Amino acid sequence: MNILHMHPRAAEHHQSNLDRLIPDESELTAGVKIEAGRSYGFFTDTTVCIGCKACEVACKEWNNLPADNLGMTGQSFDNTGALSANTWRHVAFVEKSGAGGIRDGVEQPFQSGWLMMSDVCKHCHHAPCMEACPTGALFKTEFDTVVVQQDICNGCGYCVPACPFGVVEVSKLDGKAHKCTLCYDRLKGGLEPACAKSCPTDSIQFGELSDLQERAARRVEDLHARGVPSAYLYGTPGAPGATGGMSHLNAFFLLTDRPEVYNLPSAPTRPSRRVAPSLFSGLATVAGLTLAAAFLFAESERRP
Amino acid sequence: MPKMRGVITIAQESRFQLTDADGVSHLFVLSPHMLAENDDLEPLQQSQAPVQVTYSRARNVIGYLAERLERI
Repeated sequence: MNILHMHPRAAEHHQSNLDRLIPDESELTAGVKIEAGRSYGFFTDTTVCIGCKACEVACKEWNNLPADNLGMTGQSFDNTGALSANTWRHVAFVEKSGAGGIRDGVEQPFQSGWLMMSDVCKHCHHAPCMEACPTGALFKTEFDTVVVQQDICNGCGYCVPACPFGVVEVSKLDGKAHKCTLCYDRLKGGLEPACAKSCPTDSIQFGELSDLQERAARRVEDLHARGVPSAYLYGTPGAPGATGGMSHLNAFFLLTDRPEVYNLPSAPTRPSRRVAPSLFSGLATVAGLTLAAAFLFAESERRP
Repeated sequence: MPKMRGVITIAQESRFQLTDADGVSHLFVLSPHMLAENDDLEPLQQSQAPVQVTYSRARNVIGYLAERLERI
């Protein structure tokens, strides 16, 4: 049987057991050749996420991350809770009635709708964590992604409050900051990131950023035409999520409800933009208090 | 402290997987107080040298904290 959508190069690797890595394997699995100097990222289409958590497992497997948050969270099917130093992909389960969309009219009143989203580090274009890092442990790679160099991180934790998405965490085990590396080691070997490769519905798509943004815009138009007017992009230039000097996010999302519903900030900002106003307001306060004190002392001097 | 012997089969940043003589794999994270660095793990993994890990249990994760790592 002829497989029509098979990549021409796939025919070169028909055997199951390989004695070596396939060169530029991402060309076969994601349709993109990984080259240094280009921007890569994730497009996560939440409308096709089925909450299987294959991405979480693939991430933990490849990065050798320990299972954490043992026990029941009491939060629906969510057993990881949130992104952390040991969980770099987190599938959010949002259960709500009247979720909107094409199934809204066919659901029984007692049924609820599910919104599922695989959250990850956004690999911001202007990364606040990187701006806050005093040692230069956080850096931009040749693939325009943001990575923590473990041997340089001193565990100060400045990156933790700087991240507007609550992604970075300092590990209680080794005292260093950890977060998604967008599989930096795999990219260097020409491999698609583990989470995107494992996603069975292509909810997580990996590729060159400009291609992904075009693909995402077409998907939004398609959903609007199919009767899902609530679909919009989060993190593309000019869209929600790319506010407050963020420019754009290399890992962006297609959502169908308000960002807060998915535990995303509606208008994230770079903390560095608040440094100058904070400094000037502090100086103005000091100057005001000095003037007030001088006035009061002068008044008391005048009294007999 | 308990000790475990085996071969490092995976090394990622400060984390490594130790496979013991029974073929069971265990996950370790380097303690910030130990002498070994992340860069020491990769040569051990590539050479498949037998090592001994002195470790303590880690809270709320399925893994151990490696306190001492030595070739045997």
